[in-house]
Amino acid sequence: MSLAAQARSALANTLAGLRGSPATSAIAAVTIGVCLLLVGAFALLVSNMQSILARFGEELHVVAYLEPGIAQAPLAALMERALAHPGVETVEYVSAEEAAERFRSTQPARAVLLDGLEENPLPASVEVRLDTQHRSGEAVSALSQLLVGLPGVAEIGSGNEWIEGYAQAVALIRSIGLAIGAVLGLATLLIVANTIRLSVYARRDEIDILRLVGASRSYVASPFLLEGLIEGLAGGLLGLASLGAVWSGVAPMLGGGLTLLIGDSPPRFLSPSASVWLVAAGAALGLAGSAAALLQGRERSR
Amino acid sequence: MSEGDARDAASGGLVRLFHVSKSYLAGTHALRDVSLELAKGEFVFLTGPSGAGKTTLMRLMFGAEQPSEGQILVLGRNVARLGPAGLPALRRRVGVVFQDFKLLARRTVEDNVGVALDVIGVPPRDRKARVFAILKRVGLHHRRHHHPLTLSGGEQQRLAIARALVGEPELLLADEPTGNLDPQLTLEIMDLIADAAARGTAVFVATHDHALIARYAKRVVRLEGGAVAHDGAPPR
Repeated sequence: MSLAAQARSALANTLAGLRGSPATSAIAAVTIGVCLLLVGAFALLVSNMQSILARFGEELHVVAYLEPGIAQAPLAALMERALAHPGVETVEYVSAEEAAERFRSTQPARAVLLDGLEENPLPASVEVRLDTQHRSGEAVSALSQLLVGLPGVAEIGSGNEWIEGYAQAVALIRSIGLAIGAVLGLATLLIVANTIRLSVYARRDEIDILRLVGASRSYVASPFLLEGLIEGLAGGLLGLASLGAVWSGVAPMLGGGLTLLIGDSPPRFLSPSASVWLVAAGAALGLAGSAAALLQGRERSR
Repeated sequence: MSEGDARDAASGGLVRLFHVSKSYLAGTHALRDVSLELAKGEFVFLTGPSGAGKTTLMRLMFGAEQPSEGQILVLGRNVARLGPAGLPALRRRVGVVFQDFKLLARRTVEDNVGVALDVIGVPPRDRKARVFAILKRVGLHHRRHHHPLTLSGGEQQRLAIARALVGEPELLLADEPTGNLDPQLTLEIMDLIADAAARGTAVFVATHDHALIARYAKRVVRLEGGAVAHDGAPPR
């Protein structure tokens, strides 16, 4: 039998099967949809948190706060050593006055704190930025280790600890998402497999007859696999649509809670490619569920 | 017997059974030491009382069951040794009329017949023409869009025969193919089956109908208690 003829026949049989048991097919699709909604929600959170992490990465730099009244020679030596360190892109001296000016421009609400003081409390500093290939926690730590022991350096600041903590939180949320996804995926797989098995059971006479007239295994199995695929695709689209609806409806209301997790950056929905992957995951779940049902329910008789 | 020997033996006939026995329970035999041969285009009646083993013999011949002992060669293939791909391939060359018809309830009359062509890969245009032609021959063309459960018993039987014949099989196995038909329709259907035999299909028809056996005067295999009690011309 040609592939085109088999595909045509399988599609006709699949549609007949779906029409014959719309309730069970709908249950399978909705189950897949709910599973993907939850997995998608975690994916959404992780992707937004990762974008924050990437932005922090771009701003990652080490600041060596200088002792008051540092002489020109140790300052020059310090800047020379920093520039010679592997991966360092720029080294910039920021005077105490410039630091105060930056504070006023970046934190206007708190500028009043400086106004009441007789002396500028901010120290002069040297800001060291790494090139894109070296913007990692390890590189920042190595650079900090180098600078902390140099003459004239009072303190080192990098914010590295906070970023590492945030990265660990992202990894934790990703792991939780993967674990929940795996459990939900397995549960969904079993539900889909049982749904298809019911369908196989309801049509066992038809399957027997097809075998008796010489239908190959692929001819008999293909409508059920296609049924699982269609249910999976429908479930995937349902999950994506639900996620979109929840995102557009609930995300603005969460406000402060989301700011805590993803900062001030505007929250973004899943990218087109991630959306396609989510729907494809639904199709794969449906197909795998059908295959499992067919393997388990394979007729022992000839 | 090796597969090679079996193939050699098969060259003499389309179907050959060598000392075939079938037991479902230890100590009892549904079939006992059955040996027979069918040639291309041969028309053979299989008869015997209920429980004699007619249906079991037919089921063995299209691989629905395996013999407990002996070898069965159908179209040159040892049925017991066919794998998952070999058995469907063999069945595509064998038409079977089942006693309980085995029709697809959710498909139309046209599709019930067409499925036998689908599995052998007949293109849609040829399929439609061939299905219509065979339905016309069994008098069901006007009901081609109906479903089997809306047909009478006789119509369902004709539909089963149409499905078995549409693929022009090399072997036709028919288990009581006229059991639900009136005398006139019985003769029309038997003529259809005889016509298939005349065109080269080996035909094996299980029946209780002695009038039919007498009318067609073909070779008769009679089973009694699972064993062959007669194999030859119709008994007078």
